[in-house]
Amino acid sequence: MNLGTFYAQHSRLIDQIGINALLALSLSVSLQAGQLALAQAAFAGIAAYVSAIAAMQFGFPLAAAIAVAIAAAALAAAALAYPVRKLRGIFLAIATIGFGEIVRVVANNVDITGGAEGLSGIPNDVTTPIIYGALLLVALALVALARTKFALAVKLTREDENAARGVGVDVGMVRFASLVIGGAIAGLAGALYAHAFYFLTPTDFGFARMEQILVWCVIGGVTSPAGAVVGAVLLSILPEVIRPLADYRELTSGLILLGVILFVPNGLSMLWAKRGV
Amino acid sequence: MLAQQLLNALFLGAVYALFALGYTLIFGVLDILNLAHAAIYMIAAFAAYSLVADGLPLPLAAGLAIVMAGVIGILLDRVAFAPLRRRNAGTLVPLISSIGVAIVIGAIARAVYGIDERHFVEGGLDATPIHLGPVTFTSLEAIILATAIGLMFGLSYVLRATVLGRNIRAVAQDRVAAALLGVDLERTIAATFFIASALGGAAGILTGLEYNAVSLDLGSQIELKGLAVIILGGMGSITGAVIGGFAIGIVETLAVAYGLSAWRDALTFGVMFLILVARPAGIFGARALRSA
Amino acid sequence: MKFVARVALVSAAMIALAVPAGAAATKGPAAGKTVTVGVIADVTGSAAVYGTMQKNAYDLATADAAAGIIDAGGATLSFNVQDAASDGAQVVNLMQKFTTDGTTPLVLGPTLSGEAFKAFPLAKAANFPVIGTSTTAEGVTAIGPTVFRVSLAESQAIPPTVAKVQSIWHGKNVAIIYGDDNAFTKTDGALFQREFEKSGATVVDTETFHIGDKDFQAQLTRIASKKPDIIAIGGLFPEATKIIEQAGKLGIKAHMVGGNGLNSTAMYATAGPAAQGVVVGAAWFIGNKYTGNEAFVKRFKAKYGSLPDQFAAQAYAAAQVVAALVKSGATTKDEFSAGLRGLRIVQTVLGPIAFDSNRDVKAAPVVLQIVKDGFAYLQ
Repeated sequence: MNLGTFYAQHSRLIDQIGINALLALSLSVSLQAGQLALAQAAFAGIAAYVSAIAAMQFGFPLAAAIAVAIAAAALAAAALAYPVRKLRGIFLAIATIGFGEIVRVVANNVDITGGAEGLSGIPNDVTTPIIYGALLLVALALVALARTKFALAVKLTREDENAARGVGVDVGMVRFASLVIGGAIAGLAGALYAHAFYFLTPTDFGFARMEQILVWCVIGGVTSPAGAVVGAVLLSILPEVIRPLADYRELTSGLILLGVILFVPNGLSMLWAKRGV
Repeated sequence: MLAQQLLNALFLGAVYALFALGYTLIFGVLDILNLAHAAIYMIAAFAAYSLVADGLPLPLAAGLAIVMAGVIGILLDRVAFAPLRRRNAGTLVPLISSIGVAIVIGAIARAVYGIDERHFVEGGLDATPIHLGPVTFTSLEAIILATAIGLMFGLSYVLRATVLGRNIRAVAQDRVAAALLGVDLERTIAATFFIASALGGAAGILTGLEYNAVSLDLGSQIELKGLAVIILGGMGSITGAVIGGFAIGIVETLAVAYGLSAWRDALTFGVMFLILVARPAGIFGARALRSA
Repeated sequence: MKFVARVALVSAAMIALAVPAGAAATKGPAAGKTVTVGVIADVTGSAAVYGTMQKNAYDLATADAAAGIIDAGGATLSFNVQDAASDGAQVVNLMQKFTTDGTTPLVLGPTLSGEAFKAFPLAKAANFPVIGTSTTAEGVTAIGPTVFRVSLAESQAIPPTVAKVQSIWHGKNVAIIYGDDNAFTKTDGALFQREFEKSGATVVDTETFHIGDKDFQAQLTRIASKKPDIIAIGGLFPEATKIIEQAGKLGIKAHMVGGNGLNSTAMYATAGPAAQGVVVGAAWFIGNKYTGNEAFVKRFKAKYGSLPDQFAAQAYAAAQVVAALVKSGATTKDEFSAGLRGLRIVQTVLGPIAFDSNRDVKAAPVVLQIVKDGFAYLQ
């Protein structure tokens, strides 16, 4: 089978993988700062609706719609960062899950989002090159960011917040920035999703989706953005790969999840990470 | 009508509280959020149903199913959490492995029981309504409420007055110190999982009885609501879980009573969010599991 | 003795081989060809209750086609059911797979309307025929000229049902309770509101619930305080059975009516005595006397141990439509599209099926009532 036919038969899956990779990266940014902030799906959802509405109701061209959507997601992240600034660990996780649920309910109940019936007819003008181009840009940006002092501050914050504060790291700023950067990336993913898949429902970015993103990141390696992407790619493909198992797919995916996490608790990235990091 | 709504809230809240107790117990002792709890809640209900369908009297079937749920809890720990504890994997990784176990339990339930809704009593419950002034309820609901409250008192007693309870509280307070003081860590943790899962299973069985319906999606909503309950009450606090359960029951019921049914979940999580922001320890945060 | 037995055995074998399997042995233009139709259904996941019924119906259809009970004019017709696990992403991937694999000529499904909005545009882009059997939301068939639907839309089912019950009950005060997080149930709520108001009644209360809810006492307590004559339920049977049972528990004495979503044996099997008299406006009556329906119900029960519901019946009917097209020679996607466009009437378990100019099914609802242990036509 040549590349062209392969693409024709799997282009939707390929697009999904690209967007999922972006979502995984958005969570990875927070996880690297040691923040279990589970609101990325909600940020993506906000951006998806904003981008769609901007294009459909206000006639924004694609680039403008996406830009507005990213801004909306980043703004939501900034707004969320303040009330949760004192929360850590599971408490932060639950607070952000709660935020996600509130976003879902709002999307379900207001008219402008189409409510439970969903929003259809979104201009379908995002193509695979656009998705992967965006992914590449974000990856490059994160690589560049990894060489800055900010990245060091992030690492110190994750390992020991008090020690980090002790050496002069502005922990509050690190947490805020990581949440907003993660939110912006999630926003990009959401906006791309809206224009690539042209139909949105409130449950598209609910807790189930957030749980998925979390699983990708942990399977790939909590502190490794490359791991997050690998996790997203492998787990996005998994349902189709094990499709021949028919009735046993559900059981198999549960066992695979369990097996991987028990054998490599620190994530698949440990398989290629340098020792002693 | 308000009286009836508050009674509705009471019945709803009792089951939420019972469910949340299992959540909060495991969190208090191990700092882990056990996302397989809702799956155990569901499969215990199916187990009780199938024992009743095989002819066992309900109390015996329920008792056996509750014990089975406890055993599954111990297995859950052995398979999904203990290996990670040995490798010091932190608190996020066990959350993922609990998701894996939840998926497996769901797949097994579907294979064994199928996708159809099952009913304890075919043809509908024949519970005669009792009228007590402005409120109406059935004898079954009263029994369910009494059972839930009884189990909560039972848990409180175990934690306060038994050696096991003391050990559990010690491990919750400081695992290392408890070990140094001679507490058998692994046995205490296993016992904690047994109790927590048994309570979760009991909640599932009572839910199945209350609505005469056992289905694969029994735990779909309570999983997240349980989080709101334990946050409200305070993580690791038994009394908190109970109060939190009733509080969430009231928030939900009043939301519907005042025409805000579509916003019900937003209100529940909104209240939870406010508590987290204003008083992260929850209503009873100061009195955590350590002091039961 | 042994000799006679052996002769008998050999004769029997020869007779069995000589007679073609099954009754109808007609030969159409597609005789000898193999047609495998793709099916997308939520066999697992949150919609498994509906998707499994559909899968069972399609598996039965495959078996019936092999046995000649479904007449495909001598072609080998089968239904390749793929599980989308109630996951929109999988629905889309399956639709892409089917529309590009070069051998599938038509797709039936998916299970939910939201999934249809995600997947049907792919069919439109590929000029590929699809038939929805349970996707009854507004606008599904408008997605493209190759999208057809055999399931009665809510907008077709509710108005005649309301008119009929009002002609009997003459209700003045109506309460409506519907699901607010599902396109299907939300449509029901809006339609009931519109139709009851048109009939001159007053809507005294509107309540909502979420899919998966088990407890409706809060909503019902409020409804009870408004004392309606009629309660209209915009929901699917898992919630509807509990609403009805709990209404009975609270002592509510109103008439109750629902739409397609209530057309399941669960209604009388589990909702208790309160379900007696509930009216359901549906697309299929399990006891109807259309050709082959009784036999279908019997075979389904024999094969799966439970009675079929409307999801199963509509799936099977779609299979029958496909078979009729195969019998007239359709084997490729373009032939199926043309065949569907030019379809005259096909006799199915739902009754005679034809499509209107919007590619929706031309049919009227059956208004049923729950009686002691089943459904009956509302008199």
